[in-house]
Amino acid sequence: MKVLATIWKEFLLLIRDPGGLALIFIMPMALVIVMALIQNNTFREFQETRIDVLFVDEDRNTLSGNIEGSLQASPNIHLIKTESGKPLTREAARQLVQRGDYQAAIIIPPQATVALRGKTKQAVDELFAYYGFGPAILANESPAVELQLLFDPAIKANYKQALTSAVEKMVTGVQAEWLTDTIQEQFGGTEPKKKIKIDFSGMIHVNQMIAAENTLSGLAVNAVQHNVPAWSMFAMFFILFPLAGNFIKEREEGSMLRLRLISGSQFPVISGKFIFYLFVCLLQLVSMIGVGLYVMPIIGLNKLALGTNGLGVVLTGLTVAMAATGYGLLIAVYFRTPQQALSFGSISVVILAALGGVWVPTFAMPQIMQSISPYSPLNWGLEAFNDLFLRNASTSVILPDLVKLLCFSLVTLAASVLIYKSRTVS
Amino acid sequence: MSNAPIIRVSALTKVYQGSLKPAVDQLSFSVTEGEIFGLLGPNGAGKSTTLMMLCGLLKIGAGTIQVFGLDVDREGAEIRRQIGVAPQDIALFPNLTARENLVYFCRMYGLKSHAIHGVVHHYLEAFGLLDKANMRVSHFSGGMKRRLNLIAALLHHPRLLVLDEPTTGVDVQSRNMILDYMKKLRLEGVTILYSSHLLEEAEKLCSRFAIIDEGRLIAAGTLAEMLDANGGGENLEQLFLHLTGKGIRD
Repeated sequence: MKVLATIWKEFLLLIRDPGGLALIFIMPMALVIVMALIQNNTFREFQETRIDVLFVDEDRNTLSGNIEGSLQASPNIHLIKTESGKPLTREAARQLVQRGDYQAAIIIPPQATVALRGKTKQAVDELFAYYGFGPAILANESPAVELQLLFDPAIKANYKQALTSAVEKMVTGVQAEWLTDTIQEQFGGTEPKKKIKIDFSGMIHVNQMIAAENTLSGLAVNAVQHNVPAWSMFAMFFILFPLAGNFIKEREEGSMLRLRLISGSQFPVISGKFIFYLFVCLLQLVSMIGVGLYVMPIIGLNKLALGTNGLGVVLTGLTVAMAATGYGLLIAVYFRTPQQALSFGSISVVILAALGGVWVPTFAMPQIMQSISPYSPLNWGLEAFNDLFLRNASTSVILPDLVKLLCFSLVTLAASVLIYKSRTVS
Repeated sequence: MSNAPIIRVSALTKVYQGSLKPAVDQLSFSVTEGEIFGLLGPNGAGKSTTLMMLCGLLKIGAGTIQVFGLDVDREGAEIRRQIGVAPQDIALFPNLTARENLVYFCRMYGLKSHAIHGVVHHYLEAFGLLDKANMRVSHFSGGMKRRLNLIAALLHHPRLLVLDEPTTGVDVQSRNMILDYMKKLRLEGVTILYSSHLLEEAEKLCSRFAIIDEGRLIAAGTLAEMLDANGGGENLEQLFLHLTGKGIRD
């Protein structure tokens, strides 16, 4: 009864505090939307590594046609062949890359097809002559065919590597095809109908799969998948603002003194506040997930994927809410003035959030920060949410994180009760 | 009603951390059941410190306080169940209405749900606040807040009422209402420990007094006893000035 009365009292106080309500519900929703929009490109860059590449075709033959076709088919590369409606020239491409307008250019020199075919035929002739199937060939060391890749100095190393590999792979493919054609021709198969077409691409498949516990999701992290759980937790830990603010205000206004004068009111006061703000934290999470599910797609972002483990999501939300409320309560009872509590509380939450991977995902942090990150309760929550949303993890997988959050919550709650009791009689 | 002391303060001493001078120094007095007892003294005399120790909000340095025969240090929770305290500062939730404040405190006192409405209605009516029951306390005048502050101490029908400056900053009408209600409570057998600066008010209200200064007891008894023991005088104020001097206190 006393606990329920305290919960009701807290409810009345909160609904009469428009600023507090905005801080709890409106601000976090605005924050998660803004952060997801801002980080959307960054995450897409991470996931898609799609870049604009200038393509200068001075060859205008099979080799350049094959390379162009393959690059056009690549989802990570956008080929640009013209500038102001005119075909790109070598010099124009060089200038555009030099100015930093584009990060890379591929230049296929004139006669590249002819030269490569010549080199291929020469190699086959030498092979046949060596094994006595044809006349001895005089070595004619023609220079290697030189494709040029121009890069902006500021290009990321992984882009550079990816583009170089892609071009090399394509040239190798063309070369292999021409090699078999030439060998067949040497054996007399000059008629196209008699030639065997060997599909090199079918010899080996490299499958890309997401290592999830089951294959229903197979999602990669994106701005919505990262920002919704991350900023939800940030907002939940910011519950300390209304919690500590109200607590200290009650102490300063004297109503807390009245409660201290009432026998047996200490436990209901603390537990009533804890339960009420725990519920508020859960409401925050539900509203933020709602934003991820229904608002994000409207503004052109991905829809939040929740995975398939509903129980896991509920348990994670509950333990994160407990940890956030426990921490807020500890700040509330420990500090004597709102200035101290709110300054320390907000800075500490920002630090815990940064360490936990809320601002920047842990995998993008320097090594030293990655080693500190697992000590932040926000990291435990975020890891659990990522396991659930992205990897479809079972509850047993997230259990260690949940236990850590629960322990954190119990420790902060116990410390709050002890400090509150010790200050009841000073 | 018996003449047994309901409060017995013996050699009570309190030195605050970082202070060399005791705030309360070897203070002893007793309060009999059913009386209104005035605890008087200038600013910084140690009145509030004494009341806070009596209510169990401050640890006793040395000496003892017994209330209803129970030791404050060891049985504070049981004592608090039977006392009502109206602190000097308003101890209410400003963003709740008068009724919401009182209902909440009733629940915290452990009153049964079916009794709460009646109790709250009774006191709001008795203190002239019934028509303001649904107004937030932040919109109340000083006098209305004082009355509500006193009601909050009465909700659980305490045997002992501790009032620290209950009429500070209130208008004459509110003061009269509070004083009349205190007299009514006395008739009902409630013991009142009353602390105030307002000596004229104390003289009219209290049957016995303890005057303290710099933490020490300097006079105790009825007004007549104190006047006799200290060379006469006309009233409590003259006696008070005679005992505590005319120097301004911090």
